[in-house]
This record gives sequence, C-alpha cells and structure tokens, in this order.
Amino acid sequence: MDFELNDEAKEAVVKAREFANKYFTEEVAERSDREEQFPTDIVAISKREKILDFSNPWKVLVTIEELVRKDPGLGISVTISAFGAEIFMFFGNDAQKEKYMNPVFAGQKTLGLGVTEAGGGSDVANIKTEAKLDGDSYLLNGGKMFISNGQIADYFLVLARTTQPPSPEKKHRGLSVFIVDSKTPGFSVNKLHGKLGVRATNTAELIFNNVRVPKENMIGEEGKGFYYIMTFFNISRIYVAAQGLGIAHGALDRLVDYSKKYGEVSETGELKESLQLAIAEIATRVEAARNLTYKAASYLFKFTPNPVVTSMSKYYAADTAVFSTRRAMELMSIHGLTTDLERFFRDAKILDIWEGTTEVEKLIITRMMLKEEGA
Amino acid sequence: MEEEYEILENTVRDFNTKYVDNNSLKLENDTMGKDFVKMLAGQGFFSMTSQAEGGAGTDIKALSIVLENLAKSAPAVAVKTLLSNSFSTAVKEQDVLGAVADGSKSGTVTFSDLLVGKGQNGNLVLEKGRVSGEKEFVVGSDSDFIITLVDSGELVLLKSGFKTGKKHKKLGFRSIGFSSIVVDTEDFTILSKDGRKTMERMYEDLSIPVAAISLGMSEGVSQKALDYAKVRTAFGHYLKDFQPLAFDLSSLVAEMEILKRYFRDLLSSSPSQKEAMFLKHKSLTLAKDISRTSLQIHGGYGYLEDFGIEKFYRDSMALSVLFHSEEKDMEKLSGLVFESKAGFV
Ligand SMILES: Cc1cc2nc3c(=O)[nH]c(=O)nc-3n(C[C@H](O)[C@H](O)[C@H](O)COP(=O)(O)OP(=O)(O)OC[C@H]3O[C@@H](n4cnc5c(N)ncnc54)[C@H](O)[C@@H]3O)c2cc1C
Repeated sequence: MDFELNDEAKEAVVKAREFANKYFTEEVAERSDREEQFPTDIVAISKREKILDFSNPWKVLVTIEELVRKDPGLGISVTISAFGAEIFMFFGNDAQKEKYMNPVFAGQKTLGLGVTEAGGGSDVANIKTEAKLDGDSYLLNGGKMFISNGQIADYFLVLARTTQPPSPEKKHRGLSVFIVDSKTPGFSVNKLHGKLGVRATNTAELIFNNVRVPKENMIGEEGKGFYYIMTFFNISRIYVAAQGLGIAHGALDRLVDYSKKYGEVSETGELKESLQLAIAEIATRVEAARNLTYKAASYLFKFTPNPVVTSMSKYYAADTAVFSTRRAMELMSIHGLTTDLERFFRDAKILDIWEGTTEVEKLIITRMMLKEEGA
Repeated sequence: MEEEYEILENTVRDFNTKYVDNNSLKLENDTMGKDFVKMLAGQGFFSMTSQAEGGAGTDIKALSIVLENLAKSAPAVAVKTLLSNSFSTAVKEQDVLGAVADGSKSGTVTFSDLLVGKGQNGNLVLEKGRVSGEKEFVVGSDSDFIITLVDSGELVLLKSGFKTGKKHKKLGFRSIGFSSIVVDTEDFTILSKDGRKTMERMYEDLSIPVAAISLGMSEGVSQKALDYAKVRTAFGHYLKDFQPLAFDLSSLVAEMEILKRYFRDLLSSSPSQKEAMFLKHKSLTLAKDISRTSLQIHGGYGYLEDFGIEKFYRDSMALSVLFHSEEKDMEKLSGLVFESKAGFV
C-alpha cells in the first residue's frame, strides 16, 4: 500500500497550482461569480496549456482538486469541458470517438451531458424525453434541466426513452443515449440564472422540439442507456469527490491563515483551543475524504471500479466541503464573510446535489453492500 | 399570546402578503426602495424601541414578534427593521429619532466593533472636535446616521461627513449596504464616554430580536420544504414519504417548535441575559441546519434563487456572523453557565 502520489501526479499538482495562482485572481473569480459569467478566456488558456491531461486520470483528479482549492467556480469551469466523455470512451464506436470524443479531449470542442429533467433528477429511469425512430434518424422531443455547459457545449450526450418499459418496475429498460449537435434545428437552450454558487459555470435548460438525430449518433446498444449513464456516474463521482476535497482544503487553508493572522491566543500564548480543535477536525475530515477518494480512484483507474467506495467518497467529500466551509465561516466571523470564503461557502452546497444527491449516494452504498453480501 | 401581540402578528402577516411575498427576491437582493422603507416605517416597525414622540418605547417583545414574522418572508427586511431599532435605543435627539422612526432617514450601529479584534475593522480618531478615519464591516453603511466606537473609546453618533468606502462581499441581506465608511466630520455627538460598555449593552439587548429573526427564517424555510415535499415526487413517492427527508425535517421542526415555545415564554417574562443567550445561540444554529435541509429537499431547484430557498441558506449564515461571534458569545455564555469566568483557554 502506497499513500504517495507518483511523480507525474505531483507535477500536475504543481502545474495546476501555478496556473490557478496566475489566472484565478480574486478580481476574475469575483466578477465571474457576480456576473454569472463563464470564464471563456481562462478556459481557452487552460486548454492551450493542457492543464488537463486526459491520458492520465490521476493527473486529472489532482488537477481538479488543486484548481478548485483556489476557486471552486473557476476550477470547475476549467475542468468540466469534457463532462460525459467517458461514455464515448467505454461505449462509443470508433467513428464516434474520432468525430466527437477526440476533439473534446483535445480541447477543441465542449461536451455536455443531459440526464436530469424538470420532473426529476434522482429518479433517472423516470425521464420523459423521447426518441422515436423516423426513417434513418430519431426524432427527439422533451427537455433537460440544470445542464452544465448548456449554453456553450458543441455536443450533448442525451438520455432519452426509445421503447416503453415492459413494466413500471423495469423503467430503466428502453432508455438510450444520443449524441446531439447543438446546432441541430429544433434544439434550443435557456440559461438558468440566480444560482447560489458555482456561478462561473454555465447551467441551462435544454429543449428538444423534433430534433432529428442520425441513427449513427446512438451510443452503444439501443435500450442500454440507463446502464451507460450509471457506469459513467461511477466514474464522474470520483471527480466530484475531488471537487469536494478542493473546496474543503481551500476552507482549511483560509482558516489556518486566519488563525495565524487574527486567531485569539490564551495566556499560554497558544491559539485558543476551540479554534485549534476546529482546525484539527476539518483537517482530519479532509484527510479521511482524500483517502476514500484516492481509494475509489485507484480501484477505478485499474479498471476494477468499486461503486460502494465511489459513492462513499462522493458523499463524504461533499459533506466535508459543506461542513468545512461552514465551520471556517463561523470561526473566521466577518473575516470569512468578507473574503473569498464567502464564495466557497455558497459553492460547496452544490456537491450535496449534483451527480447523485447525498441521500441517493447513501442508498447506493447500502444497496450495493447488501448485494455484494448476497443479502 | 396577549391580544395586542396577536393583532401585531396579524398586521405583519398582512403586510407580508400585500408587500413582501411577491417581491421578496428584489427586497432581498436588489433594493428596498424609499417607498417600501417608508411603508415599513409607517407601520411603526422602526420605532418600537424608540423614545421619540410617537415611538412605542422599549418594547422588545413587540419588536421580536415583528422581526420573527418579517423574517419568514424576507430576512433582509427584518434585518433592516432590527438596525433601525437597535440604533434608536441609544439616541436621545428627537429630530434624529423622528427621522429614523418615520423612515425618511436611516440609522445603524457598527457592531463589528465588538465582533472582531480591536483595530481589525479600521480606525476612527476623535481629535480636536473631529472624527476621521475609516471603519470596516459596517452593516447598513448606506445609512444617514451611524453609531460607532472611536479609538479613544467613546461611542459617537455620526450625523454627516461620512461616505461609503470599500464595498464588501454580501453573503446575505444584499439589499442592505455593507462596506467600510470613510469619515471626516465635526457633525457628531458623543453618546457615551465608556462606549464599548454601552455598545455591549446594546448588543446584548439584541439577543432576543436576533433569535426572533432566526426563528422566523426557520419557520419560513421549513414551511417551503414541507410544502414542496408534499407535491414533489421521486421513484413513485412524494418526497415526504422518504424516511431520510421526513425524519430530518421533522426532527428540526421539533427543535424549532421547542425553541418557539421557549421564545414565547421569555417574551412573557423578564428574561435573564443567560436565557436570552441560550435562545440566540440555539436559534442561530437551528436556522443554519434547517436551511441546509430545506435546500436539500428541493434538490437542484433549491440551488436556484427563484424558489426562494437559497436566500435562507445565505442569510442564516450571514446573520450568525454579523450579529454573533462564536468565540466571544460562547465565552460569555460559558461564564454565565459556570457562574465564573470560563471557556477562555
Ligand atoms: C448547478 C447544477 C448543475 C447540474 N448539472 C447537470 C448536468 O450537467 N447534467 C445533468 O443531467 N444534471 C445536472 N444537474 C442536475 C442534478 O444532477 C440534479 O439536480 C440532482 O440529481 C437531483 O435531482 P433533482 O434536482 O430533480 O432533485 P429530486 O430528484 O427531485 O430530489 C429532491 C430531494 O429528494 C431526495 N430524494 C429523492 N429520492 C429519494 C429517495 N429515494 N430517498 C430519499 N431521498 C430522496 C433527494 O436526495 C433530494 O434531496 C445539475 C444541477 C445543478 C443544480
């Protein structure tokens, strides 16, 4: 068992830190947040400088963590351009990989993933968007809600129903994934405004009104879409856990700085104990969340994913991010409220929600554990 | 509840229905507007602790009931009302009090003087009949009158000769000014020589009103979550049917109801400082917990401002930072619990 990152990953951390220090200035972060503006320029630079090296998932993981530690909104914006790409990698055919996945990994195109609908996000199998075969293509009708990169993506991977389920209990059957080009007639988007946090990221509602999608844009087999999406979430949740680590670690950094600068000391000259214990608690949680996340990642990156540990890491890192930003804010008082910790506090809450709410993650953990034990 | 307070509660409820509920996002994030502020003042809400003619005199009970009910719909409106009332307890000048009471002018107090360490919120020097310098972290910095501490210890009322300086980030109550103030004025009066003590008394008097706002927020946000959980479905069930959501929210509502009962008990007696601090401490924590759970129940919609949930998440934290200090309040509370100095190492 080796708890050290390898040299390549360590270099990625340094590279990400340098990039964030250079480009994630408070001015840019504050403006993107206030104006709910996607940081197009910085994202372009990050692509040019190949900040994300998709050939090495460990590098991707630690890069997310490090960028988010500096600023969550900008960090996530920079690292979300290929959101969904693993679906191509595992289930796409060569032509789809060539045409759609490679340009995304090369930083030339942006991808989005449309699963959630207005009627529900947790209950994925209950989606209502339909794709009906019409000659050599499918006609898509319906809508998707809260889609990241919604306004800026070139393509979307969209989950839609292609056949009716055999019974209400088997709703997860008959769903398929399609590649939708954002320039297709009948496709439109509405930007969503007024998010609590991660306001630099772009979020939109997608509308499909008789959107014609060529047959060859279906991913994998018809009817297997639910399985593909769940497999993808078992990958992406590890990266969400990395977002949580970044936010929690960022809060810890700020609390430690505060304690050096303003922390009250008692007669002994030591920091007052309540502050000391809070720092210890956050630091311990960050470390525990990191160990869980890296364990989940090491299973996955060896192609032996462990969904139980993955969901544990996503749930626990999200909870740690929310916990740490709240405790840091309470202890730093006005010094927290008036600095970038204020953003961290708002940003952290999304992690409890996206890519599987905390409740859903906990249900997965138990159900998978029981299944593994044959209960 | 006594009849007059029931009437007051209904008055605020009507006011919310007419002027706040449909407008709460703007009142929270944007601006309250002069007309709205005048309307609030017209209800007598700004002069509930005022000794001005026409002011209701010190009536923390009435004020708390008003704040609790305003906070259910728009916490920023409650905080605006709190600021006006906290200002008027310390001032005797009738023209100033009258102007704040009728909403034509506004007033605030720089409680950050007590919440951060000495000198950490800037410096104001009183010298040769002038007050000058810059003070940071002023909630209500867009006010016409400001009560603040100067470095030499006096509590002064600034009447003109100051302007807003560096704007601060606004986690909550975005329609209320929050910035530094830059001061250079001869137009002030000294309210107290031992200013810190006087301000500490004013701050202590806020314990129950701040708790009232916290409880109002908890009531407002949890009601939204209860309503939502009854209509939203997932996996073929209403959200209310799922144990994790139903148990969490019910447990927090139980806590809220217990605190409300304690709150009402305190209002109908003469609460001790310790009791008032118990209530404030627990109510602030509850508001943060219940806002998180209520937001979570709303899933992605909770994260968008349109649903009127995320503002409670921000405001509950902002309130607990701007009118409370974990370190200082807990040291004080520990002293009261142990009946001797405690919790300082
Ligand atoms: C900023 C943002 C970006 C997003 N980006 C994307 C994206 O790119 N692509 C995409 O497809 N989606 C995206 N989402 C959607 C996100 O994944 C969903 O919001 C999330 O899955 C929850 O779905 P919901 O909002 O419909 O909540 P619901 O599913 O309605 O859940 C509401 C509440 O009920 C709880 N709940 C549901 N079922 C149960 C149960 N069985 N037991 C206990 N509790 C339960 C949930 O935990 C939650 O607390 C994004 C959301 C946001 C806010």
